[in-house]
Amino acid sequence: MTSSNLRRYGVWQFRDFIRDRGIALLIVGFLIGFTVVGPFKAMGGNLDERMSERLLGAVLLQVPFVCAFIALNGIVSNDRKLGYFRFLFSKPVAIPAYYSQVFFIYLIGFIVVCAMLLGIFSVFAGPVSPGGPLIFCALVFLSFGGIAFLVSSLFRHDWPILAGIFLGATILHSMWQYDEGIKRMILSVLPPVYELPGMIPLLIRGESVEVNSVLWLLGYSALCFVAGLLVLRRRPFA
Amino acid sequence: MIEFVSATKIYKSILGRSVTAVEDFSLQVAEGEVLGIAGPNGAGKSTLISLLLGYIRPTSGNVTIDGLAPRDYVERNGIGYLSELMTINQGWTAESALERFAILASVPPSEVRSRVEAVIEQLGIGEHRAKKVKALSKGNLQRLGLAQSLLRDEKVMILDEPTHGLDPVWTQRFRDIVESLRRPGRTVIIASHNLDELQRLADRVAIIDRGKLQRLVSTGYDQSAETASVYRIAVVGGAERIAESFPSAVDVGGGEFEIPVANLGDLNADIARAIAGGVTFASVVPSRSVLEQQFREAVGEQK
Repeated sequence: MTSSNLRRYGVWQFRDFIRDRGIALLIVGFLIGFTVVGPFKAMGGNLDERMSERLLGAVLLQVPFVCAFIALNGIVSNDRKLGYFRFLFSKPVAIPAYYSQVFFIYLIGFIVVCAMLLGIFSVFAGPVSPGGPLIFCALVFLSFGGIAFLVSSLFRHDWPILAGIFLGATILHSMWQYDEGIKRMILSVLPPVYELPGMIPLLIRGESVEVNSVLWLLGYSALCFVAGLLVLRRRPFA
Repeated sequence: MIEFVSATKIYKSILGRSVTAVEDFSLQVAEGEVLGIAGPNGAGKSTLISLLLGYIRPTSGNVTIDGLAPRDYVERNGIGYLSELMTINQGWTAESALERFAILASVPPSEVRSRVEAVIEQLGIGEHRAKKVKALSKGNLQRLGLAQSLLRDEKVMILDEPTHGLDPVWTQRFRDIVESLRRPGRTVIIASHNLDELQRLADRVAIIDRGKLQRLVSTGYDQSAETASVYRIAVVGGAERIAESFPSAVDVGGGEFEIPVANLGDLNADIARAIAGGVTFASVVPSRSVLEQQFREAVGEQK
């Protein structure tokens, strides 16, 4: 196995991300953001700094989640479904290494798209500090990413399963978050993505978020990512 | 060397239903050999190729390339592979697809352009280089598929239905290219429905059916072969004396006769006798190739 060939191929993977997903993410992100900012502007609302932050909070509650879902959908399974793996992996390439690189290139592409969307937001709703919002976008991608990677490694039709897992986790958390016993145990094994919305106002204001929550989110996702790599190593690809 | 040792592949559905795609398959393919794989649809050819590329693992038995598990071999060395299914990203152009595959195939950066240009020239893709894959005709797609398998001087080549969908001119050119792949140290495996093609290109042909190796046929003529076959002779003079040398000859018209032959030694002796007796031959060819005959017997026996 050579790794330099894979590194060189990263440029093409980035191009594919922009062409296949990046443009779609920009359009979808813009449209969702516009449904939040547009009506406020149309009503002649006063866009001071405080209001900009509130609007940004409302946008961040939707756009990164939808965009991360679109970006990660089919990250492994598309090549399997469409048969692209046949030519790709007759070359001296390790399948887990190939998809690890895809994952990190998609992360970079996702952040680039989010930065562009943030720039568009600034034009419409006034300047905002990009650091916190971009950290939040990266957290959303990484929290969803490992789980999406595992599901996509396991199943050909990954997006309905992924949607079911995230919706299920969110709904069950809202129903059982104060319960104890078996319900609490079930919640503890579900993806902790419900931790994310609470971080938005803190990150927008540039304040620190609870480290344990971040570690729990990223740790859960990292475990899933490693499990996905093991699946790719062990499971037949055809 | 490629080695299958009692390889069996059973696919199991989630409902528990199982299908045996390859069963107790044993075969060695030497370096420098061109091996053909022939068999009817569903015989197990694609499963054998997937095993060789490491896309699936045998349920039992073993498959190795140069002593390594296939996936390990591919990850270290790569394989020149032409898939029967032309599954290349539809949004790529022909040229960018070749550039990508060259990079993945570990062609050194300084040589990528020259290698891509070389295979574009060799396969006549020049005028289609800027077209997207989805805009290519079946024949051009097949040429692109072969081009990407030739980007690097691979030690193992696997060509699955290499002339499928090609016009006669490109079928012949493809065969010339595949013939040129033969070299010491390189193993070439060609799966094809076209027995004539395999007869021309392969040293041996594995005839498989229902996942089992039915016969392993050498494509060269074997003087000591005991297998009876039928030859077709064309005679341009002395046709009336043909029965003297070939009592069982059947006149099929147009100066041609079909003669049953027990072995090549007898055939040559009979021809010499006929020539001495004043018969003039225009051609002597097997009415069915050795491979075709073996294929009919092997697959026919199973039906």
